[in-house]
Amino acid sequence: MTAIIDATDERLSAASAAARTQIVLKSSEFRQGREEGWRELETLVLRFERRGVRSLSLDELQRLPILYRAALSSLAVARTIALDRNLLVYLENLALRAFLVVYGPRISPLEGLTSYFRRDLPAAVRAARWHVVIATVILAVGIAAGFMLTSQDESWFSSMIPSALAGGRGPSSTRSDLLNHEIFAPWQPAEAFGTFAGMLFNHNTAVGILMFGLGLAAGVPTVLLWLYNGLMLGAFLALHYNRSLTLDFIGWTSIHGTTELAALMLFAAGGLVIAEKMLFPGPYTRVENLALQGRQAAQIAVGGVLMLFVAAFLEGMFRQLVQSTPLRLTIGITVGVLWIVYFSFSGREARR
Amino acid sequence: MSLVHERTSQFFERTKRERRQIVTPEGVPIPVTLADHSERFTAFAIDWVIWTLATIAIYLPLILVGVFSGFTLIAITVALFIAFIIRNVYFIYFETAWRGSTPGKRIVGIRVIDRAGGPLLPSAVIARNFTREVEMFIPLGILMSGGKSGGTVDLEQLSIAVWLVFFAVLPLINRDRMRGGDLIAGTMVIALPKLVLLGDLVEGAVQFAFTEPQLRAYGAFELQVLEELLRRPPTLTGAQVLRDVCDKICHKIGWTSPVPQNQVVAFLRDFYTAERAFLEREQLYGKARADKFAEPRPRA
Repeated sequence: MTAIIDATDERLSAASAAARTQIVLKSSEFRQGREEGWRELETLVLRFERRGVRSLSLDELQRLPILYRAALSSLAVARTIALDRNLLVYLENLALRAFLVVYGPRISPLEGLTSYFRRDLPAAVRAARWHVVIATVILAVGIAAGFMLTSQDESWFSSMIPSALAGGRGPSSTRSDLLNHEIFAPWQPAEAFGTFAGMLFNHNTAVGILMFGLGLAAGVPTVLLWLYNGLMLGAFLALHYNRSLTLDFIGWTSIHGTTELAALMLFAAGGLVIAEKMLFPGPYTRVENLALQGRQAAQIAVGGVLMLFVAAFLEGMFRQLVQSTPLRLTIGITVGVLWIVYFSFSGREARR
Repeated sequence: MSLVHERTSQFFERTKRERRQIVTPEGVPIPVTLADHSERFTAFAIDWVIWTLATIAIYLPLILVGVFSGFTLIAITVALFIAFIIRNVYFIYFETAWRGSTPGKRIVGIRVIDRAGGPLLPSAVIARNFTREVEMFIPLGILMSGGKSGGTVDLEQLSIAVWLVFFAVLPLINRDRMRGGDLIAGTMVIALPKLVLLGDLVEGAVQFAFTEPQLRAYGAFELQVLEELLRRPPTLTGAQVLRDVCDKICHKIGWTSPVPQNQVVAFLRDFYTAERAFLEREQLYGKARADKFAEPRPRA
């Protein structure tokens, strides 16, 4: 005979041991009551994971959050009353998967990308405007110093600029040298293959990355590297100025140069942002503050990286085609102005 | 009692999987398992193969066009720019559309989630993927295309090499196994297998009956170990293990009558049922018992 006994009955005599007694557990009853809901949720979640949101009908989409919350409450109850390990592990797994489905990104990748470039990136750069201003000042000082030193005495050029970057240009170059071999050098088809890599992965890029990363060292390497960059630029300017080639030189570099310089400016500003977060952590420890605010600096670096690629792309596209200085200047200045407008104004009208 | 079932998992798996906890917006804490380094590497390798194949498929027509039209530099530039676009768009598209998963990650069974238990924002996905350029691809490019000139460039190459090594090693030296991109975006990569719900082991009608002092011998840990053993499919060595377990239990609780070989499983299941009923009741009354050494100990 079977008698439904609560599990509290302790005195089971030997006689009744022979008969089959029924034990009913609260956790079993709980499970029987809720299992159907879990199975339904599991089916929906599996279908969603495999084929995306379109594979569920409207009714099913409306059921999903309800089932998810029911599963969460089942998990909370099961943790208290059940000792079935498989059940607990299963419910945790199901709840996590349902959580990821219900709280996944709600906008399409395209929308995410466009809103990032229209709002988040310019806003991050605008938030660091004082750092950009300081970086500009440092650059200006560097250029002025390099220019003044080299225009007086061209041997400064050789001491400031390593031979690798000088590429044969120096105090000994004549005007015609620079005109024919640098500014209006005919383009060689053979060099095409190495060129994009050479344009992108060059000295400037390395300097940019280092300036950004070494912002951790209180910004000192950042400032020094950026000053040095300015010095070199000033020296090159002076070299060409002394041979009345200033405008041609600026035209020659400006197609990609405005973008590249702006990218390096962003890296320098980003490095300064990191330095500021490290030096003035407020109520947090330095590492905590960096983790909290690091995202802002990283956005700026992302902007810098994109601009470097764009600069290399521009150089590749137009170097072969454009040979006249006024045209080069026009393109370069237009691109530069576009960048300034983008970072200053894009996304400003959006109020969250 | 969630700690008990984690202890049991560790006991059987023999490797300690790193677990963290996230709290859902409803306030329920859910444990998550961090993905192993090998899993992440495998997923990245698979993704690398896929996006490289896609890039080559786009390169070939472009290069042919370039060679035939004479605008070689432009064609090459476009091709190389496209490589940059493809690898970033690949990751960003899949991690946004598939809620933190890419084809490589899906094959391996890992996901990207927000560390604080919130929704995975598209801006976080974008930040964590573009940062990979600065961490890895640009330094690699610099190192590979440099080295032709001497002088101060050596110091630069060295710094870039140090930078590259630092970011490669970063996931290994931090607690949550975060890459540079994860740190910036506030994300974490977890292992997410699909688990199935097995049947309830509890027998409705039991044949063997146990007294309360007998049931007090064990705690929740032993119960769950027994559950795992009973859930395993029957094998020859498994049967031997069950026999040993049965003998041990009989010895501990003082069950004098011998259990025949064909009734071992039935005996263990009945014991499991009774023990679980007893322990769950005790737990409900606040006297949860983690294992056989925990208080209250049975009176000898």
